[in-house]
Amino acid sequence: MLISSIYKIPIVILLLSGSLFFLGLYPDISTIIGGVALFLIGMEYMEGGFKAFSGSFLEKILEKFTNTTPKAISTGFFTTALVQSSSLVSIIIISFLSAELISLTSAVGVIFGSNIGTTTTAWLVSLFGLKIKISIYAMPMIIVGIFIPMFLKESSWKGIASILIGLGIIFLGIGYMKEGFEILKEGIDLAQYAMSGYAGIFTYVLVGIIATIVIQSSSATMAIIITALATGQIEYTNALALAIGANLGTTVTAVLAALKSNENGKRLAVAHFIFNMTTGIIAIVFIYQLAELVDYIAMIIGIGIKNYTLKLALFHTIFNVIGVIVVSPFIGTLVAFLNKLFVSKKQSKGKSKYLDDSALGLPSTALSAVIMETKHLYENAFGIIARGLNLKKKNILSSMDLDDVVADLYTSDTIDIDDFYNYWIKGIYGEIIDFSTKAQINMAPEYAEELYKLKLANRDIVEAIKGTKHLQKNLLKYTSGRNRYIKEQYDDIRKSLAKLLRNIHTISTSNEEDVIILLLSKSKIHAERDDIIANGTLDRLIRKGLINNQMATSLMNDSDYAYRISQNLIAMAEVLFIDIDSDLKKLHVDMGISDEEAKSIVQKKDHS
Amino acid sequence: MSIKKFIESVKASLNLNKFEQKGKKKAIKRLLQKLESRKEILAKIHKKKLKKKDLKELREEQEIVDLQIKKGKKLLDELDG
Repeated sequence: MLISSIYKIPIVILLLSGSLFFLGLYPDISTIIGGVALFLIGMEYMEGGFKAFSGSFLEKILEKFTNTTPKAISTGFFTTALVQSSSLVSIIIISFLSAELISLTSAVGVIFGSNIGTTTTAWLVSLFGLKIKISIYAMPMIIVGIFIPMFLKESSWKGIASILIGLGIIFLGIGYMKEGFEILKEGIDLAQYAMSGYAGIFTYVLVGIIATIVIQSSSATMAIIITALATGQIEYTNALALAIGANLGTTVTAVLAALKSNENGKRLAVAHFIFNMTTGIIAIVFIYQLAELVDYIAMIIGIGIKNYTLKLALFHTIFNVIGVIVVSPFIGTLVAFLNKLFVSKKQSKGKSKYLDDSALGLPSTALSAVIMETKHLYENAFGIIARGLNLKKKNILSSMDLDDVVADLYTSDTIDIDDFYNYWIKGIYGEIIDFSTKAQINMAPEYAEELYKLKLANRDIVEAIKGTKHLQKNLLKYTSGRNRYIKEQYDDIRKSLAKLLRNIHTISTSNEEDVIILLLSKSKIHAERDDIIANGTLDRLIRKGLINNQMATSLMNDSDYAYRISQNLIAMAEVLFIDIDSDLKKLHVDMGISDEEAKSIVQKKDHS
Repeated sequence: MSIKKFIESVKASLNLNKFEQKGKKKAIKRLLQKLESRKEILAKIHKKKLKKKDLKELREEQEIVDLQIKKGKKLLDELDG
């Protein structure tokens, strides 16, 4: 679990080199090592495929079905069994924790369930990898996988293609491992090294731990154990001890990988370590009783007494299930301990909350992190814009009449928007741009396009703050001045922007597509309608001599600033607050009201 | 036949291009349903009881909903065609 592919590449190269080295002297050992290397390459392909194919799908499941511990455990089990990759599930869970989408209790539950899910690999290898000559299906799968991307360009199809290629290579790997052990048996009988009693158990547990640390994959270790067991190269009791060792070995790799991770990664790695150690100790102490339990259950479900590979898979599942049953009641205590062990750094308003390198593992989680952080940036910007317009944020968010919102001033002094910008915005904005640049490397075009739009949304937020800064200079002067006509105009500008901020808040909290599309259209129309140059208000005020030339120039400029702030905020809301997976995202470009249509509706009204 | 043409003909024969269109059509139909029911609700509001400001807002909302229904239907026709 939690193994980064960065660690796997040197191991695959090492295995392939080893395979070449033994080719002349021991071709059977060379075949086994080559099989393991192929198995690992296949796993990498499959994981990559699932990343592309099911990233957002997995995210949704993991986000929605983890609110209780039993649900979290079941979800961890099913998702891992489905994608056959506990590391992929772990990556998503760590990024979810960083984005505060799930609690640590749920995340620990998912990791426990994922541990049971990972035992399905042993079942698949035992059921299909050994009973039938699985390698004959490998080539057709690889060929189909290579041809799919030529016809279907979407990333989901490319993902399916990678899964097929990965499965094909895994099948080939299992085939080679099996073949290697069969040939090896004719020369050396490894079974002669079988050891009985607890000395044998401890020795083979240690071998399992070392093998998993070296290969960096408990699934690959399990595949080797099962194929060796199937060919009679190891004894059943020693195989059980090896399986326990593989389970313990995977925690060492997880802890090593978590050293570079954030607090959430470390918390999960320690939870995983405690879980596997407890499970391992229980399995070692009660290994003979568990073996009897396996025999009993095997008899009930119809597994033959001599079918050692399936019995091994059953043993692997049973001791992990027992581990979950034993540890689950203490999840609350475990979480409290983990929170104490790794204390989160105090968040400041001007620092990013959701950008963590762990989210860079998947394009979908990286995108989610940027979306969450941009929303955080907007939240801060909302506060600055409201202050700049001399409005109270809580009034804007309430259902108070807009005339009253405008009348209730935030302050009678000027506020320094630059100060707020430097403290609340600049740092986060810089971090978002930096994170996006890292995230867009190797991103599929549809994700990269979304990321580009988010960068524009960030720029719009910053531009809106800059516009507010310009607007603020005259706003305070004229709203507290004696000329009621110019005061009315500036209050109208404040009212119009307060309404827009309120609409955007409604959009951000609504799931109703018709409400969102309607409010976005309304906001566009109002921005056009409130432009005092276009609607003739400015001309009227000058013609009637109600404002002087200096006031007219200020009003003209500031009305333009207000118009641009509106445009920036609407453009930002269109990107940020329409859910990426919603139907509206697909339709908004075609169904939304264009600027020209908004202008024509306003013109029609003016004429009527 | 070039590879590109071959790929295109396979795509056409397997109807692969229609995948995305089908999803879009469903989404438009769902949105149109919501907009139609909103239109009905707006039509039932007693205009005489409304203040001038509220009446103006109601008319504006009706106009937007009408425009969006029209756009949705046009889009649906284009996808069907």
